[in-house]
Amino acid sequence: MSILDQVIQTVAETLNVPPTSITQDSSADNTDAWDSLAQVNLMIALEQTFEITLDVEDFMKLNSISSITAFIEDNSEN
Amino acid sequence: MRQKKTNIDALLAIRSRQELRDQTTNWSRDLSLPNALALTKYLRTLEASSHGFNLGIIHTYTSDLLDPWLDLHAVTQGLKLHTYHAPYGMNIMESQDGSGLVLHKPDLTLFLLTHEDLHPDLKKPISEYTRDRLQGIREEATSNLIKILNKFRSNVSGQLALTILPRTQTAALGLYDAQADCSEYAWWSSLKKDIAASLQNSIESSMFIDLDQMLAELGRSQFFDLRYWYTSRFPFAPQAANELARRIISLATVIKYPKAKVIVLDADNTLWGGIVGEDGINGIALGPEYPGNTYVDFQRRLLDYQKRGFILAICSKNNPEDVQEVLTQHPHQILREHHFAARRVNWLSKHENLISLAEELNLGLDSFIFVDDSDHECAIVRSRLPQVQVIQTPNKPIEIPACLEHVARLEILSLTEEDLQKTQLYAQEHQRKNLQKELGESGNDIHDYLVSLQMKMTIKLNSKENIDRLTQLTQKTNQFNLTTRRYDQQQMLQFIASDDWTVASFSLADIFGNSGIVGLMLSRRIDSSLVEIDSFLMSCRVIGRQAETAFLKSILAYLASNNVTNVVADYLPTKKNQLVSNFYKDHGFILEKNGRYRIDLHGRQFDKASFPPIEIIHETEK
Repeated sequence: MSILDQVIQTVAETLNVPPTSITQDSSADNTDAWDSLAQVNLMIALEQTFEITLDVEDFMKLNSISSITAFIEDNSEN
Repeated sequence: MRQKKTNIDALLAIRSRQELRDQTTNWSRDLSLPNALALTKYLRTLEASSHGFNLGIIHTYTSDLLDPWLDLHAVTQGLKLHTYHAPYGMNIMESQDGSGLVLHKPDLTLFLLTHEDLHPDLKKPISEYTRDRLQGIREEATSNLIKILNKFRSNVSGQLALTILPRTQTAALGLYDAQADCSEYAWWSSLKKDIAASLQNSIESSMFIDLDQMLAELGRSQFFDLRYWYTSRFPFAPQAANELARRIISLATVIKYPKAKVIVLDADNTLWGGIVGEDGINGIALGPEYPGNTYVDFQRRLLDYQKRGFILAICSKNNPEDVQEVLTQHPHQILREHHFAARRVNWLSKHENLISLAEELNLGLDSFIFVDDSDHECAIVRSRLPQVQVIQTPNKPIEIPACLEHVARLEILSLTEEDLQKTQLYAQEHQRKNLQKELGESGNDIHDYLVSLQMKMTIKLNSKENIDRLTQLTQKTNQFNLTTRRYDQQQMLQFIASDDWTVASFSLADIFGNSGIVGLMLSRRIDSSLVEIDSFLMSCRVIGRQAETAFLKSILAYLASNNVTNVVADYLPTKKNQLVSNFYKDHGFILEKNGRYRIDLHGRQFDKASFPPIEIIHETEK
């Protein structure tokens, strides 16, 4: 599974919405379930799924599928 | 070898909710949030939750983020959880009629407070204050908290549970703290002690849940996640959120389900390592060296459960003399004969033995927790007796001592005198049965047996003294219970305070010991001459001694002497109270057309000859 697909799956599971409702263009701005509480759960889920550690400074930036995907691609080992 | 991560695929292959529940110890700790969500979803497909549970949360830090974890543990226990998060803050308005919390009708209200909420002075560093001032803050904080919680108590139903978040920072004086005259940790411990004691003494159905216990268990770095604390005011790392939710739902489970009463233990590879029939008393693992020391610790832990009020029993496929030898002769065996209320050591199947244990102990199988190491035995008991909760002991000895830690129904909400003596009481009952058997063999009748017991009954009216026990009796008694109405402490206190109600209870002593409080009758005056019996119940542990007859007759005599001429009563059948279907008929009540029982007390004589051979002592308070 590509990183993009994994990110979409993780976001959909955490927000408890169907995976089909989340696309490459989804973000906190255009997705109702993606509120500030969901954002915290999403940070936890991303850390645990991709085995990364996020800084507080990253939290605000990681608010769209594209920014999360880019971040993980930049920070994963391979 | 042990994998650090939870094997979620293996969990998602387990086909029964009960089995997943009974393995909580194995999966709960390291579960990630995505796995928790997946498991919750899966559990919902396995079984529709049978019991609704309303949780209310009053909080001064973010609480919504606990939801996924609360939901997970609730579905694991078969509970359909409805959570109400009050608006942020320790808001007295929530205790008022018509508030969101009151309307939610919570079964449990959880208070998530921080240090600073307890006293305005605690907003400043604690090292600012003198020892005397700290003492003053402690007293003010406790009385202030009790005042607020009392407001909630008077309008909010159900259990109250208070938590106070430990400080995110370590002691002001660092390593020196323990030496300091005003040690922060010492001060904090005494404050917690004060708060817990005040709750216990002055607020019904309330308890203090010490988060420091959890902090010590998980460690500071797994308890707090400061990133979420400073950005979202959510203090918990995922492991801590998970564990806190598990603990809260344990309370919910204890509140909602039939009480567990008995822990039935297998012997080989459960109480000790190895098989005594093959390895011999000197060959089993039990003693100061590994792996024997893990079994010694498990036995110590079982004694702790006995202290909580659970009774212990053995169910083992063995030659009885082999197990007997270990119980009486093995130098490192902690649990001796007298610790077990009953034993089944034979070659019959476990489910047959469990049924006969239930008969001997006079307890329902749904109050049984069965502990065994064998896949096979566990599976058979699960399928034959689904009402029994089955815990399989881990195959690694290291994990044995803690194998019952996550069994929610082994938590307790109160601890009464009777709980502490329970095994002893069942052992006395065993002696009584032996006496009865002996007398029976020498041709004597039941009356001679009862006389030989030299019973004394103490009846108390409207006494608050044992309010815990009175409430517990309405909650726990199933078989000898005419109406099976459950009451909480608040309701019981209202009955005691009311002029219309009479709360009568009895305890029974004989040559073998004192039963403690075992019987309760709640009655209500309808008018000056008519009384209705709302509840009449008796613990199964005194069945067969005619105590119920002595108790009922004494109360009727008391009512008659207070100008009551008629008493009405009901028998409400349940699956479990068949035993008492003829109780009122057998005691002179007439079944009326409306389905109620009535007795006319006009001119009825209550002479001593008509009573069973029990000496009766009255104590009145109202």
